[in-house]
Amino acid sequence: MVTIGTMVAVAVDGIAFGVFLALLGVGITLVFGLGDVLNLAIGAFSVLAVIFATVMLGRGQGLVVAILVALVAVTALGLLIDRTLLSLVYRSEGEERILLGIFTTLGLVIFIDGAVSNFYPARYTLPLDVGVVPVGGAAVTGSSLVIIAVGVAMLLVLFAFLRRTFVGKATRTVFQDERGAQLVGVNPRRIRTLIFVLSIAVAGLAGIVFAFGSNVSVASGFQFTVYALIVSIVGGVRSLTGAIGAGLLLGIVNEFANFFVGSYVAMIILFGTAIVVLVAKPEVIS
Amino acid sequence: MIALPRDEVRNVGLAAVLLALAPLPVLGSSYYQTVLVHLLVVAMFAVALNVVFGQTDQLFLFMGGLAGIGAYGTALLTDWLGITAWLTLPIAALFAGLVGLSVSWIAAKRKFTVVLISILTLNLQLVISEVLVGARDVTGGSTGFAYTYFSMSEIAEAVGLGEKLVLYYLSLLLLVCLLLAYVWLVHSNYGVAFQAIREDETAAASIGVDVVHYKVVAGFVSAFVFGLVGAFYALEAGYILPSAFAFQTVDVLVLIVLIVGGLRTTLGPVVGAGIVVAIEEILGATLTNWRTAIFGALLVFLFLYFRSGVIPAVDDRLAGIGVMSDERDDKPDDEPAG
Repeated sequence: MVTIGTMVAVAVDGIAFGVFLALLGVGITLVFGLGDVLNLAIGAFSVLAVIFATVMLGRGQGLVVAILVALVAVTALGLLIDRTLLSLVYRSEGEERILLGIFTTLGLVIFIDGAVSNFYPARYTLPLDVGVVPVGGAAVTGSSLVIIAVGVAMLLVLFAFLRRTFVGKATRTVFQDERGAQLVGVNPRRIRTLIFVLSIAVAGLAGIVFAFGSNVSVASGFQFTVYALIVSIVGGVRSLTGAIGAGLLLGIVNEFANFFVGSYVAMIILFGTAIVVLVAKPEVIS
Repeated sequence: MIALPRDEVRNVGLAAVLLALAPLPVLGSSYYQTVLVHLLVVAMFAVALNVVFGQTDQLFLFMGGLAGIGAYGTALLTDWLGITAWLTLPIAALFAGLVGLSVSWIAAKRKFTVVLISILTLNLQLVISEVLVGARDVTGGSTGFAYTYFSMSEIAEAVGLGEKLVLYYLSLLLLVCLLLAYVWLVHSNYGVAFQAIREDETAAASIGVDVVHYKVVAGFVSAFVFGLVGAFYALEAGYILPSAFAFQTVDVLVLIVLIVGGLRTTLGPVVGAGIVVAIEEILGATLTNWRTAIFGALLVFLFLYFRSGVIPAVDDRLAGIGVMSDERDDKPDDEPAG
């Protein structure tokens, strides 16, 4: 017999996983919406952030400092990738650019995986030491609550940035009409750089919150990328709110499927959803 | 029936002779024979990708999954039905072909772009991988099982060669058949239709080319070959594991091979396989741990700077000094072969 308390606990874990998925989905959506580049390497940056944070912890830094340093480090790496590889990708246009973006970021993720696993072959987790929190009779995983808090804060900051600041408004102009943006003096390439770097920071944070509750290894990078793809497909690739909604929905569905029918079937449900959405509504991504 | 262009057939013949002689200098070395069989298997995969991606721009990213359907299908059917694997192989390959056919049909009907097909098939790849690992009772899960089907010992005894060598020449025979079939395909009406669709799908449809039909045929043929060769791939390893049919194992390798060799060229898959397998073996001896990283960097580099591949580059050089005048599709397709 499954009690209400257990259901609540599973639901909270589901929302936490959903927040993680939403962050990844937002990372893909930002870059695809703005530059037609499907960043298949996004999951690798999540893993790198976890590894950087682990290294800093190993040097005796506190958790918060370690996380901040890790985020700055992956963001800097993102800037480097944008200035080099993506500059080459942006030289082509339309379908050609999308295809080139896919292959370049795919090669990048394989490169990062291969190189990093030589030095960090194990599984890593960021110890939070919050244990189990009783919430109205339900024993809720403490790390899930922290993930939800941190993730929601990040998403709120992101939205405030896009809605309230001048650069954010310029970004949304480029989203909607690149030519128009250029005419009013916005440089789309610089906006793209900013957004790519931002998406890498979001992905890095996603990896870090995931590592609060679970193990992360280099091989998780590709899996995270696939999660991100599924979320953005289900949410409609160019919609930020869609990505967040889809992330939460899939997170909750996945956690309950996990609980009731096991992890393999939960995975198949996740991939299956993406396939069904693609076949039913292919226009979400084109 | 149209006659095949003579120079294409001559090149395939030349490659066949070279490959047939390849095991002789290293006769008796089981290691080199394994490497050579691997080369042929990878080349055959690349020929299949050359049809579906090269000819019709459908980027299949579930090549490993299709090969897995062929290999696992053959093994499971053989065990269940108790008949020889030589009979179950075509059934399993046909099933893989039907999967490819369905994907191409949906994609063509709903006018999927190349990105959509790649994401759709990538998701299918992951479903197949999960099923292979998860259905532990039938697939042995992630520990797999020994792949001892296709008894070669009788043939080996009859012709007096080692089993590995028999497998090699059998694979070579299949590769040559595939290459000739490829040459025939691109010089038939299908090739003309493929080219028209690639250049402008709407225009092709408006002059009566049945776009859906041609894409579906390419999807079926390619997936069938992946299923067929998948069994040889497992046979070469002697052992079957889900990870051998993963995206990172098969798809990435075959993509690199085809791009290195040259998309839409007849011998591109063979030349690409030769180069990539050689790199793999050299790395395997010295820098095993860096193999994945180097392959990733190679994929980025090739796509950014070298998308035309080795064969077209060599052709251009040779044409430049007047050795070969025309190797590629730039002459009339129905020119009599002599």
